[in-house]
Order: sequence, then structure tokens, then C-alpha cells
Amino acid sequence: MTIRSWWRLAATGTAATALLLAGCGSDDAGSSDEPDAAQANGDDGDDAGDVEEPAEPITLTFQTLAWQTASVEANEAIVDAWNEANPNVQVELLQGDWNNVNDQLLTAFEGGTAPDVFHYESTTLQEFADRGNVLDLAPYLSDDIVADIRDGAWDTVTYGDGVYGVPFLQESQVIFANAEILDAEGVELPTVDNPWTWDEFAAVAQDLTTDDRYGVVYPLRSPANRILNLSRNFGGDFFTDPDGAATAVFGPAEGEVLQRIHDMFYVDESAAPDGLGMSASDSLPAFFDGQYAMLAGAIWLRQQLIEQGPDDFEWVTLPALVGDSSAQGAVAQTISVSADAEHPEQAVAFIEYFLNPENQVELAAGDWLLPTSQEAATAPELNDPETGWDVAVATATDLEIAPFQLVKGFEEWKDKVANPALQEFFADQISLEELGRKLTDEGNNILERYHR
Amino acid sequence: MKLLAPPRGPRVQQQPRPRRTYLGLDRDGLLLAVPALIPVVLFSVYPLLRGIYLGFTDAQAGRNTETTFTGFDNYRQLLGDTYFWDSFRVGLIWAFSVTILQFFASLGLALLLNQKMRLRWLARTLALVPWAMPPVVIGIMWRLVYHPNAGLANSVLKDAGIIDQNIDWLSSFSYALPAVILVGVWAGMPQTTVVLLAGLQSVSRELHEAASMDGAGTWQRFRNVTWPAIAPVVTAMTTLDFIWNFNSFGLVYVLTEGGPGGATRLPLLFAYEEAFRYGNYGYAAALGNAMVLVISVFVAVYLIRRMREAT
Amino acid sequence: MDRSRPVASTLRYVALLAYLIFLAFPLFWLISTSLKTPQELAYIEPTIIPENPTFDNFRAAFREQPIARSILNTAFVSSVSALLTVLLSIPAGYVMARYRSVVSRATIVWVLLSQIFPWVLVIIPLFLLLRDFGLYDSHLGLIIVYVVWSMPFALWMLRSYVASIPFELEEAAAMDGASKARTLREIVAPLLAPGVVAAGLFAFVSAWNEFLFALVLIRDPDLQTLSLTLVKFIGAEGVARLGPLAAASLVATIPSLIFFAFMQRRLTGGLLGGAVKS
Repeated sequence: MTIRSWWRLAATGTAATALLLAGCGSDDAGSSDEPDAAQANGDDGDDAGDVEEPAEPITLTFQTLAWQTASVEANEAIVDAWNEANPNVQVELLQGDWNNVNDQLLTAFEGGTAPDVFHYESTTLQEFADRGNVLDLAPYLSDDIVADIRDGAWDTVTYGDGVYGVPFLQESQVIFANAEILDAEGVELPTVDNPWTWDEFAAVAQDLTTDDRYGVVYPLRSPANRILNLSRNFGGDFFTDPDGAATAVFGPAEGEVLQRIHDMFYVDESAAPDGLGMSASDSLPAFFDGQYAMLAGAIWLRQQLIEQGPDDFEWVTLPALVGDSSAQGAVAQTISVSADAEHPEQAVAFIEYFLNPENQVELAAGDWLLPTSQEAATAPELNDPETGWDVAVATATDLEIAPFQLVKGFEEWKDKVANPALQEFFADQISLEELGRKLTDEGNNILERYHR
Repeated sequence: MKLLAPPRGPRVQQQPRPRRTYLGLDRDGLLLAVPALIPVVLFSVYPLLRGIYLGFTDAQAGRNTETTFTGFDNYRQLLGDTYFWDSFRVGLIWAFSVTILQFFASLGLALLLNQKMRLRWLARTLALVPWAMPPVVIGIMWRLVYHPNAGLANSVLKDAGIIDQNIDWLSSFSYALPAVILVGVWAGMPQTTVVLLAGLQSVSRELHEAASMDGAGTWQRFRNVTWPAIAPVVTAMTTLDFIWNFNSFGLVYVLTEGGPGGATRLPLLFAYEEAFRYGNYGYAAALGNAMVLVISVFVAVYLIRRMREAT
Repeated sequence: MDRSRPVASTLRYVALLAYLIFLAFPLFWLISTSLKTPQELAYIEPTIIPENPTFDNFRAAFREQPIARSILNTAFVSSVSALLTVLLSIPAGYVMARYRSVVSRATIVWVLLSQIFPWVLVIIPLFLLLRDFGLYDSHLGLIIVYVVWSMPFALWMLRSYVASIPFELEEAAAMDGASKARTLREIVAPLLAPGVVAAGLFAFVSAWNEFLFALVLIRDPDLQTLSLTLVKFIGAEGVARLGPLAAASLVATIPSLIFFAFMQRRLTGGLLGGAVKS
């Protein structure tokens, strides 16, 4: 027996209309005199500048997830500038929050109340795209922005033929070091051109370990994403056929990074055991106190190092480690358009303005993350060695989409199997083989449901 | 449900002259009940029934999906869902521990706060602090208390000489659950204390004094005078506390994200993730229904026992 | 009991003090956190009294988020919700306790079921319903949700408080020919006062702290409630701007505490003690 979809029970009208109109403008709200350009499927919309000003003023809602002072201010400044220049396409800036945006968007999509333009991240975007909630931007994007943003970043938002968002901020994993300790111990610092291998890193960590100091801290509170991304160093895939009938796999390549980190905990004893339950920021007090010589973290941590570090604390950003390659998996923060948006052309034009190279410099600086714009990455303020920007920007070319990002059901695999099993593995409660067995056997039981 | 009928009070049939009744209510009763029933039926009963019904369908998030009635399919799948049942065990330990500890701690506090003492108003207000603090900040504050090496708990316990090494409270397989249970007790105490304190107002002072004259000790007076008077309130509150605790997950999630290795994964987290992360409304609702069934059994057994004790 | 020995009395104060330290220390830590500089927040030995107290966190919090506005919104929504909950629940709770009717029983089933069935699963159907009633992005919508959300508890508790009031008191009034409504108003309600305060406090606090529904129902920043404002200081991956968050949370805590300080007096009835000669 087929029944009507539950959320449509009382809203058949809206939902059905929205379905018909997905991706081609809208006819309700009584504005009959919308320009034809907005209805056309983007054949002539190759350049943002070509989008016609609507005759009647329209308002777009844009929900940002910016939360650090500097990036909130950057968001506000960019939106103000846009509003000034586009009196007929006013953007209303709303502020969401990272921890709850998923619940909020899911509900809003069900009820047709989602913001026209929204900020989120590439991994979860696929689910919303599959559900028909996000507009395919491919027909609307201009050549300029397509060329300016790195291909590796575009990969993270491309599913099949569709492009479901514009990627703009990416994080990469690096190593932070207490400069004073490394200096005192006479450690020769690696450079962007000559980075440490995992072996060299492990050896240094061991050398730096003393009775009251650990060589390194790995904050491993929710380890799955981080470990999977780092495992790209040794070609760890964790899944075969990720965008089809994905199957979890576990072999030597997958086990490499895991085993190395595990050894640092239990063989070399150079990794601080209290890092197991820590988030990156949790590890800062002891890092500032000199209890850890090095801290394995992501580039955004620099903001906290600067803000929270004692005045006499000297730290340095070391390049990412190299395994078989220096590749790292990376997700991207994205800006997307809701499928219900009434003015997709104007929405995309706004996104292209918001993410032009000049603005990306501000946004990247505000959040201490990598811009996806290649032009932005050359900006002097994003290459300052004082604050580790030179190292951060150098990782950009190593960032690639990791296979797991394409796997349907990855989130559930991660929540139910990967994170708990990795926690057990790093707590030395299960062996690498057992971990592998959990990730594949139990993991594939979960993925099975997504293949139906 | 007749066991849930109030322990005291008359029956309508005992009224001097029986009046015309509708659904067992006379005109007065209807007038008193209807204003509350309207919003309830409109905004609670319908979504609730809708939610229960979804447990028998394959409803999913998304605009291109069709929902089909699938009968008991979800439940067959549910029986084999070991993740869910493992979390059920954690959920029961959590709900029972928190409810019981919370009740005894709150009863003690309510008895103290019911006494005449200096600065009682301040004590009563401070006792409600966990209620006044915004939930978003509670989890964060407690995470700092339990911080592995820069936390208040370790620092105080080390100064007091109780431990000599830092304990990694929230990621230790043995301490994580007790640690979050303590936070659960803390967070729920104001609610229970206020209710018990209000319940204590119906304790007859004369009876207390009479018992005192007869030479009854503190414990005997509590057992024979106070306890019977607050028994209905105790039953009502502990029942709800148990249900609420079983149905909570937000605070624990902020503290541990269910870790380490699933040691603090509460069952509602599954229903929540199923609905809001994976978009499987049908299956999520089925989890909800299963929880309703199991919890109803506990609640029914408890209420029946309490009723028997009362008579 | 006031004439008990001094030792017992001292013990009582000690016990109470222990309770209060356990329950209230996070507030003092919140105060301390809100006055710390970012550097001091990352000390390895947490300081109870800030070394370099600063109001920067408060300045940042108020500059970046409409704290005052959210407090007003929240106070409005919570008070109206609490008032409505209590006004609707007193008569209905009375009926549940004193009538053995289908309605009473159905209500009991509903009360328990509504609490047992996971609240998160009701959110979407309820959200769509409110949207269809035109209550999206309005305080009225939130108030309705909160009233309906608090009512099971209020009914459940008031029913048990009514049940603990001796029926003899009402019989006398019934003899005089008073209507049920009048009996309730003049005889039962005053005796119920502590229970009503307990239920009202619950409704107030639930509404004050509620997050998920406010999140999905409110979009306009001007209508935002406190819980929505506070999460804006929290970012991804467990990182929070602790200083401003603590400052804003502290400001948010104070109105509730003041309200509690006023209401706690009403938790002591005193009426019943003298009124009942059992």
C-alpha cells in the first residue's frame, strides 16, 4: 500500500510545486514580471555579471556558519558590500551553528523553509543532494570561478555530473612543535621542500620523550575522519567502488598509519596517552606547559595557539608528514543553493561574488583555513611564515578527495563502527586484525542497507 | 490502567445526585478539562500518533521518496540490530543509576530545605543552579571539570591526596559511565528537589508533633508521617525521572560522543541519528516504538508495585 | 524540629553546605571563566580566582550577539508558556485526580506515552503542523510547543498533589452547593500552591532552556531565544569561544536565578499544615 509521504501530508501544494520547479526558478510569490534569464537553464549564464537585475527587489537568505569574530566580520562586510552594489538583490545574513546545522537543514528542507543559500561541508552535502534538497550548480557557474578554484576542491562537491556547492575552505593536517624544546634538543626542522617521513617523525618524537615530557600528542577524540584522511599518505582507501556498491576493505595500506600511531603509544611510548580522549583544543594547556614537544593537528589550530599561548611561548608549524606520498584526504566547506530557492541565478551570482579571490583571502584568514581559490592562495597575508601560513598553503596541492567521501552510508559506518573500534584500538583493547575485521565485517553489514 | 486510578478521592457515582455524564465527566468536569484538552489533542496527540505510525513504514527524508506501509519489517530488522540493543543495556544502567541516586540525593536536600534555617532562601536558590545554567554551557563546563590534565576534578582530587595520577575520566572504559552519571544526577536534581519540596508541604504538622510527643525518633516520624504523605508525589516523580533519563542523550553526547568504544552510547542517540543523520524516519520511529514498549513494562511494573504498597 | 540539639543543627548546615557546593560550584566556575583572558583559560592548573580579571568577554559577547534582545524574547516566551501551562493544567489535573472517567484514563496514557516516545521523533511532524497553521518564525508557535510539552508533567504532578489533599475538605463545600469550579478555586487551589509553583517552575525552565524546537521554528534573528544565541559561540570539532560563551551564559543565568529566588518562597505552603485535622 502506498501512502503519501508524511511530510507532505498537509503541504502537498508547496512540495509538489517545489519539485516541479527545482532548478528553474519559481512562479509563485506573485512576481509575474521576473526576467526570462532567471528561468532559462543557464545557457547564457556563463558569467555572473550577465545575470540580469530583477525588476522588483528580491531578498535572498544566506545562512553562514562563521563563528570566529574575524570570519563573522568578514561575512558581514562582504554581504554589506554586495547589498550596496545590488539594490535589487538584497541578501539577508543569518547565522547558523556547526553543531546543529544538520538537524536544522533537514527539518527546514522537509518544511520548505530552508535558507536560499547555505554554508555547510562537502561530506554531508551528498546526502542532501541525494534527497533532492540541493540545487545542481553546474549549469549556473561561470568559467572564472571554475578555473580559479582548485580541481581537487571541486572533486569534493561533484557527485555524478552534478556540482552541489562551491568549495571554499579546506583544512590540512600538519605538526605543531614547541620551538624552544626542539631548539634545545638540536632538532633540525623539516622544510616544505624536505618534510619529515613518518619514520623520521617517530624517531624525533622518541628522542624528544623524557621522564616528564612526551614527544608528541595525538588528540584522538573522534579519530575516524582524521585517520582516514592521513591514511592517504600510504594509499589507504578503506573502501572499494566508493561511488557504487561501496565495500569496506582493510589491508596493509589501510593499517599503515594506524599501526605507526599505535606504536608511538605502546612501543615507543612517545605519544601522550591522555591524548586519546582529547580534542585538539583540549591538548593545548599541556602543550603550552611543555608536556608535549609536538602536537599533531589541523591548520586552524594556529588561531588558538596565537590567542591562547602564553606570551613567551614559541611554536612553529612543521610540514605535513610524507609516507608513500604526501597526499591527504580533505573535505571542503561549501556554499550551496537550496533546491527550493526562487532565484537560483541571483543566488549563484551572489556566491560567486562571495567567493571571489579577494573575499576568499578574508574568509581564509578569518578561519585560519586554506582558501580553494588559487589566486587567493598567493596573497601575501596567506603566506606569512610567522604564523605558519607558508606551510599551510604548501599543503594545498596535496589535498585530494578521499574515497570515503563518496561512500553512501559513510556517516553511519563512522558513528557505529569506525569511531568506537578506533577508540578501542588506540586504547590497546583490540588488535589491528580485529580492528580490520570490525571495519569490514561489521562495517559492510551497515553499508549493505544503502545498496538496496 | 485502573491501577493508575488515584489512591484517594471519590468516585463520580458517590456524588449525592448522579448527573448526566459524557465520557465519565459531568458538566463541571468537562468545563474544567476541555481547555487543556484542545491544545493537547491538536498539537501533541496528532504528531505523536503520526510518529508511532511512521514506525510501520519505510519513510525517509527527501523529496523524491515514496512512503510505503511495511508492517513489522522494521521490527524484524530491529531485532538483529545489535548496536541498538547494546546501547539499551547502557541506557538501562544509566537511567536506573541516575534516577535512584537523583531521588535519594534530592530527598535529602528537600528535607533540609524544608527546615527553618538561616539564609534558607539563598540555599534554595543556589540549589537550583543546575536548572538555571543554559544546557549548552553545562556540557562544556563539565568537560573542563573532567579534562584529562587541566581539569578541576583531577586537580582537586590530587590536592586532597585521593589520587596521585591524573585520571582520564571521559575516555576511560571504566570511569566514563560513572562520570557521566554524576553529571546526570547533578543536572536533574533541581527538578526532583523542587517537586519533593512541594510534596513535603502536604505533610501534616500536627501529626508530626503528635508523633514527636509520643517519643517517635526522627526516622520513625519520617517513616510513619512524612513518607505516606509524599508517597504519591514520589511515585509520580520517580516514574517521570526514569522516563526522562532513559530518553536523554544530549548531555552525555556533548561529554563523550558516546565513547569510548560505545561505552556511553544511549539508546535515544540511535533514534536521533537514524532520523536526523541518516534520514530513516521509519526505522527511527520503530526504534522509538520499541523503546516505548520496553519502558512501558518497567513503568507499569513500578506503578503497580507502588500502588500495592500504598494500599 | 527547631528545638533539636545544636549538634544535629550543625550537622544539618554541614550537609546543606556539601549539597550546595556540589550543585552550585559550576556557577562559580562559570563566573571565574567569564573573567579570564584566553591565555588563562589554557593554564595547566586551572585558577579559581582569575589572575588578571577582564570584562573583555562580556564586551565581546554583547557586541557580537543580541544578548539583551534574546533575554527579553526568552523571558516573554517562558513566562507566557509557564502561565498558560499552569492555568490549563490546574483544572485538568483536578479532574484527573477526582473523576474516574475515560478522559482521565486517556489523559494518563497520553501523559506517559508522550514522555516515553522519543521527543526528537515528534519534532518534524509537529514542525510541519505548526507551519501549516502559519506559526513558523513566531513566538506564538514556540509558546504552543512549550505549553504542550510541559503539560504532561504539570498534569501528572498536579494530579498527584490533588490526590494528596484530603477529599473531606471538598465535601464540606459540596454540601454548601458550591460548583466544582468554585470548590477548586476557593478550596483546592490555595492548598495546591506549592505544587503549582513546582509545575510552573518546570514549565518556565523547560521553555527557557529549550533548544531544538527554537532552532527549527525561529529564523528571524530578532525573535531568537537565548539557547540559539549561545550556540553561536561554539564551533565545529568541540572548539568553543569559551570566554564569551561563559560571559553570555552567566548573563543568561542571572534572570533565572532571580526568578527562582522570588518563587522559592511560594514552595512553602504552610496552609495545609494548619488546615487539615486528620
